[in-house]
Amino acid sequence: MAGIFLKNVGVDIPIYDVRQASLKKALLGRTIGGRFAESGAHMTVNALKNVDFEARDGDRVALIGDNGAGKSTLLRVVSHVYPPTSGTVHTVGKVSPMFDTTLGINMDATGLENIQIAGTIWGMTRAQIRNSIDGIVDFTELGDYLKIPIRTYSTGMLLRLAFAIATVREPEILLIDEVIGVGDAGFFKKAFARLLELVERSRILMIASHQDDVLRRLCNKAAWLSHGNLMAYGEIESVLSTYRNPNTPAQQPATA
Amino acid sequence: MLTKIQNAPSTTGSSPVDFVALSNPTLKSRIAQTISQEVVAGFRAWPVWGIMGWDDIRQRYRRSVIGPFWITLSTGFFILVLGIIYSRLFHIEIESFLPYLTAGYIVWGFMSAAANDSCIAFIDAGRIIKQIKLPYSIYVLRVVWRNFIILLHTIVIWIPMAIIFKVEPNLNTLYEIPGIFLVCVNMIWLTTVIAILSTRYRDIQPIVGTVIQLGMFATPIMWPVSALGNSKIVAEINPIYHLIEITRAPLLGIAPELQSWLVASGMAVGGSVLAIALIVRASRRIVFWL
Repeated sequence: MAGIFLKNVGVDIPIYDVRQASLKKALLGRTIGGRFAESGAHMTVNALKNVDFEARDGDRVALIGDNGAGKSTLLRVVSHVYPPTSGTVHTVGKVSPMFDTTLGINMDATGLENIQIAGTIWGMTRAQIRNSIDGIVDFTELGDYLKIPIRTYSTGMLLRLAFAIATVREPEILLIDEVIGVGDAGFFKKAFARLLELVERSRILMIASHQDDVLRRLCNKAAWLSHGNLMAYGEIESVLSTYRNPNTPAQQPATA
Repeated sequence: MLTKIQNAPSTTGSSPVDFVALSNPTLKSRIAQTISQEVVAGFRAWPVWGIMGWDDIRQRYRRSVIGPFWITLSTGFFILVLGIIYSRLFHIEIESFLPYLTAGYIVWGFMSAAANDSCIAFIDAGRIIKQIKLPYSIYVLRVVWRNFIILLHTIVIWIPMAIIFKVEPNLNTLYEIPGIFLVCVNMIWLTTVIAILSTRYRDIQPIVGTVIQLGMFATPIMWPVSALGNSKIVAEINPIYHLIEITRAPLLGIAPELQSWLVASGMAVGGSVLAIALIVRASRRIVFWL
């Protein structure tokens, strides 16, 4: 069983400017005392407020909301990258975040070396990586190019490789932050099919995106975030229509 | 205020994990969980830091055929030139000064490079840290491991030195193993401390650079302890001296003094406690400093 259980989760992100990132200034502030106290206290951004959220096996959750609504923050809390400032975050199952497909990619390394490095960072064993190589070769159609440094690749080739590596994982909880919708039409179709396979292999999916058609194909639920608040969570069509037509009252309470 | 876990997150397998993050756990659970989640889990994830550090080395080979052996070459020339000049300066026979200088300088090179790299241990890995939760010790071990591999490259200089100047290995040479081990333990905690502080305060990096430079001149590496005459205490109060001594003396076939072992072990324990205390305090914030 896999599960995501968020109770009363709030996240404040501290903002450090140059002044706060300086040891000299920090020490100076301390000796001078009260005078600098106010500028010493750093600003925080209230990225999530009192979010109660649950997802279980089979849930495919679309995260919707305007830019800066807290979608990425929520994904980072579930992936344990951001610790909660208040409340509890409980996940059961291996969490596999996919926020940036080029993570761990080294331009000077060969395609095969990159598969090895990125795969290891994603928590795959040597055997799993070895078994994944054939699939990556098939998908990317890069053939012998995999044996040369990827800085020689074209943008399209690089994109294919990065996407292929990012999608070889065996996730239980898959978190995706706006990574689809790139490349030419032919590649998009192929990439989408591969993404669907990955989603099918996972138990829970959470995906943040602004493309409703993509979300409709992948998800059965949706969570609408606005200014760090969970506005609605429930069946995808009703939440999407509430989000798109703010005049209609929410049909599902936030604590679905 | 620390992430609580029932089972450490598995970074090298696909076994299910149960992960609970609380906003305000008790201090006792904070310490226990930091040790298991940020420290122990990181050591256990050796394939991750192993490949990261190894790829850093591969990167150097990609850019030049001999890769890190450039460091070996430049270190070799440095030792040769300095050895010839300083042996005259201190009126020591070059036969004994060159092996002394080589044995000390190689390990110093490892320590100073690791300390230098530690400033950007987390900053360098910022993209990974902001995207996937891995134990912080992974990034520290990557730095120490990478520099240890470079040490294995530079230590090659010792072989011609030992042959030319007939420094024969004896039973005391075996002390090299615990010596290097203790140096590594000390570098791991030191790297952790510098990495955390320099991520928070970005002006630490030039300070570290200055301290390293000072350390090289203030420690008997390029000059013999005997040059101090009656003020040997100047060397003995310097912790770096003892770390150098436990690795230099065995190479020269001499047993290090008990004092050096005690200082090195004491620092290893004390420093590790300090490093863990810092991780307990900082592990929830590092991601926001990047």
